[in-house]
Amino acid sequence: MDNEVELKLQALLDGELPTAEANDVTSLLARDRAAAALVEELRHTRAALAGFEAEVRLPESRDFFWSKIERDIRRLERPARQPVASLPLALLRRFLVPASALAVVIGAGVVLLRPSGPSGLTPAAEIETAVADSGAFTYRDYSAGTTLVWVSYPADNEVAQDDEMGTVE
Amino acid sequence: MRVKVMPATGLVWFSIALLLLARGEARAQTAEMKFQAFLLWGTNEGKPPEGKPYKPIEAGIKEKLKDLPLKWTNWFEVNRVTFGAPLGLTKEVPISEKCHLKVKKLAGRELEVSLIGKGKEVVKRTQALPKGEVLVLGGNAPNATAWLVVMRRLD
Repeated sequence: MDNEVELKLQALLDGELPTAEANDVTSLLARDRAAAALVEELRHTRAALAGFEAEVRLPESRDFFWSKIERDIRRLERPARQPVASLPLALLRRFLVPASALAVVIGAGVVLLRPSGPSGLTPAAEIETAVADSGAFTYRDYSAGTTLVWVSYPADNEVAQDDEMGTVE
Repeated sequence: MRVKVMPATGLVWFSIALLLLARGEARAQTAEMKFQAFLLWGTNEGKPPEGKPYKPIEAGIKEKLKDLPLKWTNWFEVNRVTFGAPLGLTKEVPISEKCHLKVKKLAGRELEVSLIGKGKEVVKRTQALPKGEVLVLGGNAPNATAWLVVMRRLD
């Protein structure tokens, strides 16, 4: 059986052949068992496909379903409305942002740029007052973080020989 | 003009962080500070005098003294006092029978330290004393020796 005959058998099954040609193919079926078997197989296949066709059911009415889609389309086409801030609020915001920035800069300046010496103390914070000892001197080692205040008190000639070590007269 | 939210929010958070930092520093300044004071005796001899239970000084103090222009090579610990200094109050700290310290924590980071010997103010000094730094008060002692009062901050 050639391809043309097969196409004619399929067309007969679909009802697409003219009457004269359909009669010829029908008589062929009566004579040719292979052609009859092919038509039978095609008929079963079509029946099987028609039986398994999925049926979609909408959860709501058809009109309501399409109205929803229509509403969504209109909503998407509508331009987004710009929030209109009230004039005093807008002015307040325009003032607050630069004022906040200025306050932060001033605060950071006060905190970070406070004058400090090597050990974190202000130059004016290191004040020494030597009382009753004009010969006192101060040695400061900034790298070691050590301050030495040496006093000439008690003077060597004022110390009694029996004084206990490690005492200050 | 639309005001952007993100920069303003960032500024607010930055300001809050700065405020918290400043508050923490203020709290640290008002809290009581802990100090330690050592009375040391310096000599070029290798050991303390007979009958005196002086101890070798701590390695940390020794390291600090090493950098000072002092001629004595060996230092011994005579006494050690640990004390706290609350803000605005003067703390009297006995160092020996005849001398004591007066320590007053001032506003900010400064301290006022006075050394009193035999009822007389020998020296008074105002300075900050951060942790890790030491204040050394010293003078000559009999027999070519020396005394030191070393003060350091504990916390």
